[in-house]
Amino acid sequence: MRRWRLWLLMAPALALLLAIFAAPLMHYLWLSTQAQSVLTGLKPVPIGAQQWLRLWNDGRFWQDTWQTLRFSAASVSLEMLLGLAVALLLHQPLCGRSLLRTISLLPWALPTTVMALGWRWIFNDPYGPINQLLAVLGLGAMPFLSNPNVTWLAAVGADTWKTTPFVALLLLAGLQTIPSDLYEAAALEGATAWQSLRRITLPLLTPYLLIAVLFRLAQALGVFDLIQVLTGGGPAGSTESLALYAYLNAMRFLDFGYSATLLLGSFAILLLLCGTAALVWRWSSRLQGELR
Amino acid sequence: MARMLLLLWSLGPMLWQLYSSLRPNEALSGMGTGGWTLEHYRQLLQSDPPFLTTLLNSVVVGASSTALTLALAVPCAYALSRLGRRQARALSALVAAAAAFPAVLLFLALLELARDWHLANQLLALSLPYAGLCLPLAILLLTAAFADIPIELEEAALIEGMGLWQRLRWILLPLMAPAIASSGLLVFLFSWNEYPIALTWLSRSDLLTLAPAMARIAGSSVYTIPYGAFAAATVLGSAPLILLMLLFQRQIISGLTQGAIKG
Repeated sequence: MRRWRLWLLMAPALALLLAIFAAPLMHYLWLSTQAQSVLTGLKPVPIGAQQWLRLWNDGRFWQDTWQTLRFSAASVSLEMLLGLAVALLLHQPLCGRSLLRTISLLPWALPTTVMALGWRWIFNDPYGPINQLLAVLGLGAMPFLSNPNVTWLAAVGADTWKTTPFVALLLLAGLQTIPSDLYEAAALEGATAWQSLRRITLPLLTPYLLIAVLFRLAQALGVFDLIQVLTGGGPAGSTESLALYAYLNAMRFLDFGYSATLLLGSFAILLLLCGTAALVWRWSSRLQGELR
Repeated sequence: MARMLLLLWSLGPMLWQLYSSLRPNEALSGMGTGGWTLEHYRQLLQSDPPFLTTLLNSVVVGASSTALTLALAVPCAYALSRLGRRQARALSALVAAAAAFPAVLLFLALLELARDWHLANQLLALSLPYAGLCLPLAILLLTAAFADIPIELEEAALIEGMGLWQRLRWILLPLMAPAIASSGLLVFLFSWNEYPIALTWLSRSDLLTLAPAMARIAGSSVYTIPYGAFAAATVLGSAPLILLMLLFQRQIISGLTQGAIKG
């Protein structure tokens, strides 16, 4: 078929993609050089790099960056560990495996805001089930949603619950591509289960782990729904994420210029981290290839 | 043993919601033992606007987003799978990066789009950003499926004198049905769950979709909340999705895993 006809078929989709992904980022680049807030009567006024200076000197931005990184690191690593465990479990030939697979995927399919509301009740102090259980065990109540040192962990827990199934499913797909004769050969050589996990499963699963990490990391760095409904960023701003701060700047403080700057700042952090992760992986796999 | 743990971990929180939704508030807060009640569901269905309206809005948005996404993604994926290797590779990499992009970062620009084009508070208009956000995943899935169809099949049809449209309609689409079904389901799930854009595009309470409606219910204080009503809302809000998952488990799972392998 002629080339231009192929491009014609792609044109509508590519146009929408550009409008939804590329145009907003370009627009932010421009908006971050403007003051557009209540002070300017919501009209854009050019101010050069001042928004970026403000970002640099904004303690709340750095605190939210730290909190977002902390949340992402904790939840992504937990999800990888648990996801791998669940994937290994689901990979074994068990009766009722496909039903178990579907059930374990349910948390992922539920809307985040729905279950965030559910988790608020589960974490309730003192009537939630966890605190009632603690009371039965004779332990003190845990102020999950009102203690700044604990609440971010509650958010990590809720996020892990929701997205572990997704990670598990990706890794399960990876496990299914590993030929089983590899394990049989290893077993003949007398390899233990642990050895074949370390020597066969993990190396062959690395590409899938990387995809899962990159995808989950990008999503976690943009965490918004869960935080907004579960904690609203509180207590005392201790769970506020970058996306939530940007949202508040636009919708509550009506400071659109700064909100755009924050969104671009978050995007830069995301690019930096995901780019580094991808590079490190490439570099280490090349190194391993040379050593072999 | 490990299986029981997995079941408990997955279902426990949901069962707790179901249990709470059927208990009177006094029983939930430790005062009195109370029996069982459907009061929370009655309140929810009679609230203003009724919860069923909210669910219906989500269905409308989900269906229109799915239709629009597929209408754009199928031709695009077809062309991508027939394009030269180098160009297709570069485009697919960009599309894969877009698939991982967290949508919330786009909310401000999309909000201005809605304002400038008078798209706010229009359910069908919401399918425009949703289709845009779902296109990357749909394109990846469908391109992989198109690439699996042997090119000889199409060449044979070409010799028979079938035009592009006829080939699509009679040869390619029937073979693509499973992939189209799974991408459609994933788009539907996405739009059912999407929050930040619905939150900023919709303000009229009778037009809210499920996700922002839930957040609005949650909007009151953390402490003095009618948790029974909350629980009833979470149960009703998740029931359609659980049904969907149980009905189409194969398609959804294969869609997700294909996306990972090929993407």
